[in-house]
Amino acid sequence: MPKSLLIISRQSPWSGPSAREALDIALAGGAFDLPLGMLFMDDGVLQLMPSQRAGALQQKDITANLQALSMFGVEDLFACHTSLAERGLSPTELSVEPLQVLRDQDIAALIDRYDQVITI
Amino acid sequence: MSTLHVLSHSPFADSHLSSCLRVLGSHDAILLCGDATYALTPSTTARQTLDAKVGSLALFVLDEDAKARNLSLPDWVKSVDYPEFVALSVQYDKVNTWL
Amino acid sequence: MKQLIVEGRTLALDKDGYLEDLHDWSNAVAEALALEEDLVLTPDHWEILELLRAFYAEFQLSPATRPLVKYTALKLGAEKGNSLHLNRLFNGTPAKLAAKLAGLPKPTNCL
Repeated sequence: MPKSLLIISRQSPWSGPSAREALDIALAGGAFDLPLGMLFMDDGVLQLMPSQRAGALQQKDITANLQALSMFGVEDLFACHTSLAERGLSPTELSVEPLQVLRDQDIAALIDRYDQVITI
Repeated sequence: MSTLHVLSHSPFADSHLSSCLRVLGSHDAILLCGDATYALTPSTTARQTLDAKVGSLALFVLDEDAKARNLSLPDWVKSVDYPEFVALSVQYDKVNTWL
Repeated sequence: MKQLIVEGRTLALDKDGYLEDLHDWSNAVAEALALEEDLVLTPDHWEILELLRAFYAEFQLSPATRPLVKYTALKLGAEKGNSLHLNRLFNGTPAKLAAKLAGLPKPTNCL
């Protein structure tokens, strides 16, 4: 049984390569059938805002790419409730689903469940 | 399962420390290295937040990084060298490095 | 730089033989690319190439094998959405070869 991996994505999609790197790890892991989950936290939840325009910055469309996660077998997707609330985002308006919104203590339990964690 | 959270960013520059503290499990520990050791600077919010967790938080600091910054450690914080850092990494079930 | 000449037009290819520009693609281009791979395109092939174009339009990336199989099963049913069928059509490397013939970038998440 391969080790399970939780990827915690904490950066906005426009602040540098971090959001893309976290997503690439998830897609690569999914393509190889690794059991993995992805948690969006802090500015990482900004990746979940709908109708972003990557073309305005000549970048790849992360909103479209995130939709591919389920096709790659990555279906355990989580978002941090506190981070969403801090940024005025409602769980109902996000571009990715299914998505479980977790409180802080549930995130501690989530991290606990996985064999390995990467925070980017 | 226990996690050793490794922080290396200054607490005055971003939210790594506060976010880590929010989601810290009861068996987890934090290791401060690099600029994250500035969290122990006296009379700062970061230091007060840590001080408020005496007794409930397992906190380690990489000794040479704290010394280089002339930071004096409170009694309840355990300073470690690199071999001890490695030992901790093995002792905890996993290491979560906040990049 | 590699090139492909189709119907009098010269198209740029990357070092692995993938189209540099997604918009250069046409049925004739697909057939020319297939010829380079000693493959003759049948309706079964075309169906998958169109599916890949749709996948790219939706997700803005080329699928690895697993998502390609899953997407095919979703759109065309399990009879076609399985690695046996796709491997048979595309010489055992469906994700890479089908993406090439569909004019998409090389899938990044596949070794």
